[in-house]
Amino acid sequence: MIGGAGFKLSHLQAMLLFALFVSMAFGFLSRRQPVERFKYIVWSLLLFLLVGVGIGWAMYPFSR
Amino acid sequence: MMTEETTAQAAPQQYSQREKIAFIIGIAGWLLPGLGHALLKMWGRAVACFLLVGLLVFFGAGMRGNLFSSNGNDAFDSLGYLADLGTGTFYLLARTLEKSGPDVSHAGGDYGTRFLATAGVLNLLAALHAYEAARGRKA
Repeated sequence: MIGGAGFKLSHLQAMLLFALFVSMAFGFLSRRQPVERFKYIVWSLLLFLLVGVGIGWAMYPFSR
Repeated sequence: MMTEETTAQAAPQQYSQREKIAFIIGIAGWLLPGLGHALLKMWGRAVACFLLVGLLVFFGAGMRGNLFSSNGNDAFDSLGYLADLGTGTFYLLARTLEKSGPDVSHAGGDYGTRFLATAGVLNLLAALHAYEAARGRKA
């Protein structure tokens, strides 16, 4: 159904999508009120990205 | 006195009945993402679970991630299979979507594998959440 080549996403795009989906799932499951949910989703998304980019930079010296 | 005894006998039966219903809701939530919450009339969570697990499966299969099968070679394959099975019926959907099979020779395929496994684990978490909510735990 999906073409042979599939989706072509960059590392950053894949990480952003992953972080967004997982943050939303956590937000919906752990918070009831819409405002609290939204805050949780944004906070979780930022932490995902911060940790992801941080680990990427931490591995940079060993990449060559 | 008689009424108190009858009430005391009825309480464990009610508890047992509630446990059975909660178990069925948990299984329903596993089989179809969001169904467990839908049965509890938690519509927002039901739609969110269905869409988010569905999107993770869609993108995971689209990126040609590895969808593990039951005849794995090592423990990682078996763990991957268990994680993928967590998506319930969406496992079959992913198989249907991934016509060309997995391709983990590039980073996209590797990301796809993680997307698929995460979809399964998230759905198991959601099913457990629905089970706990049906048991009357705060959710």
